Amino acid sequence: MTELTPEQVRALAAAGGLPMSDDDVAEVTHRVNAFVEALAPLAGLPLEAVEPLPVAPDTD
Amino acid sequence: MSGEDLAFRSAIELAGLVRTKQASPVELVRLYLERIDRLDGRLRAYIAVSRDEALAAARQAEAALMAGQPCGPLHGVPFAVKDQFDVKGLPTTMGSRVPKAALAVADATVVARLRAAGAVLLGKLNLTEFALGGTREFPFGQPCNPWNVEHDPGGSSSGSGIATAAALCAFTLGEDTGGSVRSPAAWCGVVGVRPTWGRVSRAGVFPLSWSMDAAGPLSRTVRDSALVLSVIAGRDDRDPTTSRRPVPDHLPALITDVSGLRLGVVRELTSGPETHPEVRAAVETAARRLATLGATVEDVSLPLIPLAGAVFMALADSEGAGLHARWLRDRPGDYDAGTRRRLLSAGLLPATLVHQASRARALIRRQVLDALSEHDALLAPMAHTAAPPIAVGRAPITSRADVGPRFFTRRCYGSPASLAGVPALSVPCGFTGGGLPIGLQVIGRPFEEATTLRVAHAYEQASEWQHRRPPV
Repeated sequence: MTELTPEQVRALAAAGGLPMSDDDVAEVTHRVNAFVEALAPLAGLPLEAVEPLPVAPDTD
Repeated sequence: MSGEDLAFRSAIELAGLVRTKQASPVELVRLYLERIDRLDGRLRAYIAVSRDEALAAARQAEAALMAGQPCGPLHGVPFAVKDQFDVKGLPTTMGSRVPKAALAVADATVVARLRAAGAVLLGKLNLTEFALGGTREFPFGQPCNPWNVEHDPGGSSSGSGIATAAALCAFTLGEDTGGSVRSPAAWCGVVGVRPTWGRVSRAGVFPLSWSMDAAGPLSRTVRDSALVLSVIAGRDDRDPTTSRRPVPDHLPALITDVSGLRLGVVRELTSGPETHPEVRAAVETAARRLATLGATVEDVSLPLIPLAGAVFMALADSEGAGLHARWLRDRPGDYDAGTRRRLLSAGLLPATLVHQASRARALIRRQVLDALSEHDALLAPMAHTAAPPIAVGRAPITSRADVGPRFFTRRCYGSPASLAGVPALSVPCGFTGGGLPIGLQVIGRPFEEATTLRVAHAYEQASEWQHRRPPV
């Protein structure tokens, strides 16, 4: 995924109905791009067969 | 015995002094109120002190004792709770200006259970805004670490860590989503327990992440946490996710013999590049100490751990962004800038990425559970460093490279237990050269809190850290 620009972040926020002030946009852009970068290695994991259960079933 | 010596006694010792009429509940409440008046202007552990209500409850407890009525295990012992827990008649602020909450109409289940056990509520404690972490301006005052007031006390249960360490009450409750009990416990030099998800009711606890939130005790000894956990745990019809498993009395399991236990030291967290050498040395020394006490201690690898912090935040923050959507739209200016930007960022994450994170969570959980199938408990640092200066957390984020070390790296240490839903605790295991506490994390199998407490108790009894007091 390519790095988002502040303008793209502002447009995404507007589409989602989220307020984004001029003061917020630079930091939010850094944060979103950092998330995308940090989670990129997930693409290399064998996730297809994994059920995304939020908690392990309590079998007792 | 001086007032200070009495204030620093464990909750179990105080309960014994009350039971044998060597200390009165009113005397204890007054003692802690005097300490709060004297110390909390600087430490800012408390958001609200229920002075009159606490004294009234203490008088009732004293009258019951004098009348020979049955007393619970915490009869007359003063405690306080993170302001994330409902207390009847008080607002639940979540450390924020945002909620214009009506007064709570009922106690959170855990608060009600502690009161039923005889404990006396002193007040509600400070926290990072909405239990998220990364708060820059605290509406109720900047919480400070009692070991060095220029340093961060940890969060999100900041006030719980401070009040326990500085003896502003006998014990506290916190809520741990990704380390929010264990982190302030580690940085403030006390014990903090995250129970198995589903072991303790979340009814009346303001949520952050429904699939990871867990209420737990902070205390000055492992035995105190064991007792408090036994009181608050168990099925609650107000919280359908609570387990129906019976709750053991944890105190009898606290023997100092750990022979026969197999413990795994998590390599990626203990000797990884992010872990400060002083933290690594303290944890390795603690592991060797447990080996001398009879445990088999060996290295264990959890290769996905370096991803855990980002996976955790993608999931927990997304849940938080959903929870806060309306307030974020209607009153964004009432949030602290750090909180608002963190929630906005999570709200913009692609759904496919969050879905991948939820699948990765299942893989991380499998690695943790596989390691626990071969080991009775895992050992690791609770944090990669001791408490950093407060100024570090308040600095603005000016580049993408700022984010990882500030948020993801730190959460790699606390979040694996949260992602796996297993119990974990932090127990003091040393101090830095600068006099700041270091926490040893003990991670256990689901619903086997007793084993994690036993390991921590054995270590605690063989070390001297619990006897140190902060210089306040």
